[in-house]
Amino acid sequence: MEDQLIIAGQAIESRFFLGTGKFASYPLMREAIVVSRAHIVTVALRRVDTQDRRDNILEYIPKECIIMANTSGARNADEAIRIARIARAAGCGNWIKIEVIPDNKYLLPDNAQTIRATEVLAKEGFIVMPYVNPDLADARRLSDAGAATIMPLGAPIGTNKGVCMRELIKILVQEINLPIVVDAGLGRPSHAAEAMELGASAVLVNTAVATAQDPALTAQAFSLAVRAGRIAYRAGVAAPKDNAEPSSPLTGFLR
Amino acid sequence: MRVRINGEDLLLVCQITVAALIAQRKIRPETVVVEHNGAILARDKWEAAVLKENDTVEIISFMGGG
Repeated sequence: MEDQLIIAGQAIESRFFLGTGKFASYPLMREAIVVSRAHIVTVALRRVDTQDRRDNILEYIPKECIIMANTSGARNADEAIRIARIARAAGCGNWIKIEVIPDNKYLLPDNAQTIRATEVLAKEGFIVMPYVNPDLADARRLSDAGAATIMPLGAPIGTNKGVCMRELIKILVQEINLPIVVDAGLGRPSHAAEAMELGASAVLVNTAVATAQDPALTAQAFSLAVRAGRIAYRAGVAAPKDNAEPSSPLTGFLR
Repeated sequence: MRVRINGEDLLLVCQITVAALIAQRKIRPETVVVEHNGAILARDKWEAAVLKENDTVEIISFMGGG
């Protein structure tokens, strides 16, 4: 049965998106991408450090991947817009993850600034994937502003706490007619499966993979969990109940 | 002449173009984007872009990120 994820008219071959930060080396990062078959991978932009003789990260990302720059480091809409334009000038294409984070303690996004940046960048032809607190009214505003997806956080970035925003994400899935991509905070494959069972269209994971003992194996586990969770969502798994219900017939031949 | 490169003040003794600045720092041109005084400077303009007093230059490249 066909179950193709489409974003901005483009077929996306995997519902597992991978971030490229925090890997011990670029070859390890590449291996995680290849093994998990991630199709969308994120990168960041930074000032060049002339002391750092690391290779160009783009050379380690398989050619078939969609490279999506993020706007990390942006504290307001204008900075996010500036970073997006730089990313496009760098030949990175039109895909942009908007991330506007004014708070260093919890790394929570600023929805209002994110909406403003989305309005501007969508008009400029970017495929905009905004990273936001899961709020229904804001998700509607983002949809109106031309966002290609909504990316609610599962939990604060890098916390590995899982789908803490579960109930709010479920509402977005039900009410918003765009792919919902759960981003941030997913620590284990079971968290990813949970997000997909809720009806998320995809998940984006970075820290949990990059900082695992074996990143490639972890990426593979996440990728499989995403597929399992997606199938479970489509299958319409049964709802929980308060009272027990026998699964074997209690035909009373004992009494 | 004082200029600001990637947030650091630099005193230049002679005139220099953006292209020369990139070469001097042994940066592979195809891996970076340059902003000159807040505006993106296309690669084919680097040779003609001579730095002036109080100019700012940002040299930016991709790195890992989530």
